[in-house]
Amino acid sequence: MMPIWTKSGKKHAVTLLKVQDCHVLKYISKEESGGKTSKLLVGGKNVSPFFKSESAVEIFKEAGVPRKQKVSMFNVTDDAIIKPGTPLYAAHFRPGQFVDVTAKTIGKGFQGVMKRWGFKGQPASHGQTKTHRRPGAISTNKAGKVYRGKKMPGKMGNIYRTSYGLKVWRINTKHDIIYVNGSVPGHTNCLVKVKDSILPTYKDCNKNPPFPTFFADGDEKLPEDLYDEEIFQFTDPSVTYA
Amino acid sequence: RAISDGKPEKFQPPPKPVIIDKQKQREERRFLSPEFIPPRGRTDPLKFYIERKDMIQRRRVFNIPEFYVGHILAVTTADPYANEKTNRFVGICIQRGGKGLGATFVLRNVIEDQGVEICYELYNPRIQAIEVLKLEKRLDDNLMYLRDALPEYSTFDVNMKPVSRLEHEEVPVNKLQVRMKPKPWSKRWERPKYNIKGIKFELPESKMKAAQKWSQPWLEFDMMREYDTSKLEDKIWKEVSDGLKK
Repeated sequence: MMPIWTKSGKKHAVTLLKVQDCHVLKYISKEESGGKTSKLLVGGKNVSPFFKSESAVEIFKEAGVPRKQKVSMFNVTDDAIIKPGTPLYAAHFRPGQFVDVTAKTIGKGFQGVMKRWGFKGQPASHGQTKTHRRPGAISTNKAGKVYRGKKMPGKMGNIYRTSYGLKVWRINTKHDIIYVNGSVPGHTNCLVKVKDSILPTYKDCNKNPPFPTFFADGDEKLPEDLYDEEIFQFTDPSVTYA
Repeated sequence: RAISDGKPEKFQPPPKPVIIDKQKQREERRFLSPEFIPPRGRTDPLKFYIERKDMIQRRRVFNIPEFYVGHILAVTTADPYANEKTNRFVGICIQRGGKGLGATFVLRNVIEDQGVEICYELYNPRIQAIEVLKLEKRLDDNLMYLRDALPEYSTFDVNMKPVSRLEHEEVPVNKLQVRMKPKPWSKRWERPKYNIKGIKFELPESKMKAAQKWSQPWLEFDMMREYDTSKLEDKIWKEVSDGLKK
């Protein structure tokens, strides 16, 4: 995570996400998947093809791509279908866009009710016998049972969570890095799924994104760094207020 | 000279002249700002490389002078609510923290009997100028104990003129022993974990001995805490000097 300053002098914290060997693996049509839109399978980081069964490695062989550590599905409209085997780059996103980031949160193991659900517990003194971090009452007398989904101690973390509506501040095309506003679930160097935002406020925010994606061997030659309009670039002199 | 014994004296050749090559000495002195050295962790070195590129870019446009803890600095920042839109603060640097772009330094001064500490970010674009008014290193890396010292040790004239200094000379170390206000202090500075050499403790011997109970003499031999940065520093110094020369 890094600080980033706007032209008005405000500071924002930014997370760096690296796009590492992303390839489109497979196209699943609407009828096959049974959903409302067709789907595209996309794979992430390259890993060794050994120590896995044949069936698991089949998909990668068909696409002609080394085995990937993470495979995720994206709902795609019919006009945005990409041929399996195309590489995806960070330039697929542009600064000023809004993005949702999904990842597995940091696993905390078996945790008690105070850390997991934020319960208040009991006082430390004034006669409490062996009760300082317990949940207390779990149901009423009238119910006569404990409802399903009651908040109780258990394994915390290591589940998929999404942060919505994160602004993309800057893109580095040379190293394929996306600078995303705020914090993102997951530990450092974990694998993450980045999508266009579903939030209704940002529906019309994408002004001319590369459609269907940014092709590296195409005619467009992008500069090494793409900045948002409001970012203070370090090549400019210091900020002054007129 | 009167020769006492008749034996001939052994010929003593004259001592060889020691040549001090001043040019060599000048090149050896190099200062790498501590925020360039990455902390020990599992982050990808690519992240530090990209941060360093940004830091070098900023340093090319805006000059950040070499300074240590104990120097007296004057910082002018852009302030939208001031009369002329700038704000100038003079103070002694108490501590330098943070790594990468978020590196900070805290300046302390006593203005009209009120102690004021301001934490500035080195790479904040609102900073317009950093001038070093007086160079002197102190005996410690962290001068937080100035909060519990007598206010005369933290007062510096706001309109101080910069003290002239010969370049290529060693930064002078001020071996000042500071006198403290009566206890209680904000931290127990006599304890060995702070390892402070710049205070003149006027506490009784028994209290100083009792403070040594909290010493951890095994810490200096702990191999897991060793972080050798010499090779990293060499690489980073080359990168930074090449970046700044362009």
